Amino acid sequence: MAELGRAALILTFGLSVYALVVGGYAAWRGRRRLAQSARNALIASFFSTLVAALVLVVGFVRNDFSLAYVAGHSSRALPTPYKLSAFWGGQEGSLLLWLLVLNGYAAAAVWLARKRARDLVVWVTPVLGGIAVGFAWLLVVVSSPFDVIPAPADGSGLNPSLQNPYMVVHPVALYLGYVGLAVPFAFAMGALLSGRTDERWIVATRRWTIVAWTALGIGQLLGAHWAYVEVGWGGYYAWDPVENAALMPWLAATAFLHSVMIQEKRGMLRVWNVTLVSLAFCLSLFGTFLTRSGVVTSIHSFTKSSIGPWFLGFIVVAVVFAVGMIWLRLPQLRTTAKLESLVSREAAFLYNNLLLVALCLTILWGTAWPMVSEAVRGETMVVGRPYFDFFLRIFGLPLLLLMGIGPLIAWRRASLRGLTRTFAWPAAVALATGVGLIALGAGSSTPGLVAYTFSAFVLATIVHEFARGTAARRALTGEPVPTALGRLIGRNRRRYGGYVVHASIVLLAIGIAGSSAYDSVTEGRLARGQSLDVGGYSLTYRSLGEREGANATEVRALLDVRRGGKDLGTVKAGKNAYSVEQQVSNEVGIRTDYLTGEDLFVIAEQVNDDGTVFFRVFVKPLVNLIWLAGLVFLLGSVITLWPDAREERRLATRYASARERSDTPATT
Amino acid sequence: MTWVLLAAALAVAVVVAVALPFLREPAPASDALHELDPAERRLLEAEEERDRALAALQELEADHRAKRISDEDYRAVVGSLRRDAAEALRTLDRLAGGPRRAGTSDAEAKID
Amino acid sequence: MIALSVAGVLAIFLLYTSLAGGGTPSVSPSELATKTGEVALAGRVVGTPTGDAHGAGLRFVLTDIHKPGHRVTVLYKGSVPDMFRPGRDLVVTGTKRADGVFVSKPGTMITKCPSKYQAADTSS
Repeated sequence: MAELGRAALILTFGLSVYALVVGGYAAWRGRRRLAQSARNALIASFFSTLVAALVLVVGFVRNDFSLAYVAGHSSRALPTPYKLSAFWGGQEGSLLLWLLVLNGYAAAAVWLARKRARDLVVWVTPVLGGIAVGFAWLLVVVSSPFDVIPAPADGSGLNPSLQNPYMVVHPVALYLGYVGLAVPFAFAMGALLSGRTDERWIVATRRWTIVAWTALGIGQLLGAHWAYVEVGWGGYYAWDPVENAALMPWLAATAFLHSVMIQEKRGMLRVWNVTLVSLAFCLSLFGTFLTRSGVVTSIHSFTKSSIGPWFLGFIVVAVVFAVGMIWLRLPQLRTTAKLESLVSREAAFLYNNLLLVALCLTILWGTAWPMVSEAVRGETMVVGRPYFDFFLRIFGLPLLLLMGIGPLIAWRRASLRGLTRTFAWPAAVALATGVGLIALGAGSSTPGLVAYTFSAFVLATIVHEFARGTAARRALTGEPVPTALGRLIGRNRRRYGGYVVHASIVLLAIGIAGSSAYDSVTEGRLARGQSLDVGGYSLTYRSLGEREGANATEVRALLDVRRGGKDLGTVKAGKNAYSVEQQVSNEVGIRTDYLTGEDLFVIAEQVNDDGTVFFRVFVKPLVNLIWLAGLVFLLGSVITLWPDAREERRLATRYASARERSDTPATT
Repeated sequence: MTWVLLAAALAVAVVVAVALPFLREPAPASDALHELDPAERRLLEAEEERDRALAALQELEADHRAKRISDEDYRAVVGSLRRDAAEALRTLDRLAGGPRRAGTSDAEAKID
Repeated sequence: MIALSVAGVLAIFLLYTSLAGGGTPSVSPSELATKTGEVALAGRVVGTPTGDAHGAGLRFVLTDIHKPGHRVTVLYKGSVPDMFRPGRDLVVTGTKRADGVFVSKPGTMITKCPSKYQAADTSS
């Protein structure tokens, strides 16, 4: 069956080359049937990639250890869900997943846009085909998942840290995000290639961008949650290069989502937008490169692999191509619309963009510094947490404040009177919150206090907006509050969905501030019956137990938890020893206080032979707001994505009239 | 050797898909891909400009009704927004060279 | 206006790096001899570790990852990641003591996942 997989990938490669070369020629020469043929090739390549993927899946499910990849990442004892997720547990499989998602997105994008944006699609096809060519080449020539070996009796098994539900979903979500950014990129390049400067490409890709951005965000939160509960070192983000690899394109995509609103409303920032979307996609490629090539020391890889130079080559090609196209079309892209005032919504969005991009670039610099310093100074320098934390605060806190200002400040020019009227109440709420928090002891951390105060400001503006909008509706229609609220959101999905997303970011900020600026930690060795105090809790080590699980021996220490004299139950922490993989994994004990969002986080660092255990215990206030933020984020995204029949009709009319004037009757 | 059959089937399906446009239209009336010429592009951009101007006016009205904008601030801005919208409509009329389309008449009526 | 903000960002950036320094050099055991000051030592664990990381200190030996040869003894206190064992690659931050032992800062050990994205020919 390996040969079928290999053949399918070769077909994919051929189809991608066809889409690129023939598609490009057809677009250039204006040949309709050839363009359709290239588009069909792109769609067909999804199916051939799917066949290859299915071959690999079948290989895992059937324990076919003659496939080197299956032998290297699976074993007979592995539970079936993890046999499936082992697909992306290694380099070759994850490249195949990348290609599958890319082809899936590409096929869907060109198929759905085939009528509405025909002249864009003819250029989008070769761009997406070109990206696919790169990955298909890697899979066929450099790093094939279908290498065959003499089948061993059993496989090497899957890394235990990957054997949990998070690692089943997190990589897929991330890929839906990373790869999804290729669609707006391709449409932007398509617009540039076709010489068009109108907003068709933005309108066509708005939903794709939001889907990719949401997936990338959720994927990162899943990864953070995995790090928190499974890896269990006491945190959820370590500024590790592979973590940054996902954060950077997400920041660029966030900036892009905001700046396209300015282009839609005012026709400004065209050059900036195509640059941003290219940056987001190139960072996506760069992120994939970082995770694969071992070029930067990180928790994911150490040895240099053969794939690094190829990826670097792709990124260079993509960057050169994007920069070249932007340069070429620069005269047509420039507009006459100008920024009228530094205090206006346009300006607020611009500041938002500048801050996001600045943060993104400083993270990029810090992540790439080891590579750069090695090339330039001959000495590999690594950058630590303080660097990233500093810049997160410097850029992130103003961004937080802007989230409250941007949606409310007037377009074009905001008057002083208007500003005081709009922001007096939220500012008062924020100030009162700040003072109250100082009284409660939050003054111990200035960044934390600032974060909380800004968050209160933003939340106040959001609540005010919802309240005012509902009141205005009720004044007109007399509806009861829930109906008015529902209709309000329903008729202004982008605006109110956006508010919900902002609220989720505020929750995220509060959660991060609480768990990092106001946390406590204690450690010590305990014998049975001894206690440890931290952050108001008192833990007493009671007993040690051992049991045989499905594929591991599980050792757990049991502790009693008390706070303020009250008995809060027990918590278990310990280790799992995996027989096949010959590895030990940390299994932390977490006690969540749902009322306050606080976590008691217990790590059994070392279980000694004499029955004593060395514990490390954290108290993390408000950390669960981070996970709640993920749910709110998803809700907000869904609201903004929800199709709006009126808007669809309006856009259809506008572009249909152009189409009627331009198209000859044609089959699809 | 089932893999050979499956691979062959896949290859055939793929080739058919790629050749389909030529199989369905062996001798079409026109094989030209009509792209927007400069005049059509200008028209499209003018329509986008008009939509932007009208949307800005509508948003201003909505904000004023919802009391997000005070009467003075509204009066300060509404004049220039109306001028922009009128300008956009004039440009569009000139380029389209014909009567206005029905879909925009109520929005335009607000300006007049 | 964009030029101003770019200048502003650069200013903050330069201010930070001049105050905080440009990072910690990452060296291998064979390069350690020539270095002074705090470094991030990257190597592969060989032999059997002794001692207690939560007690007097864990002692183990690191050698170069790509060309095994030069060895350095490391004294480490603090959290030990799950992946730690002979044959694994890791990084510890610290300084070299006069007697040649590398004393690490507590809790700075980071281990690498060996098999995730490796090429097929390296050992796992």
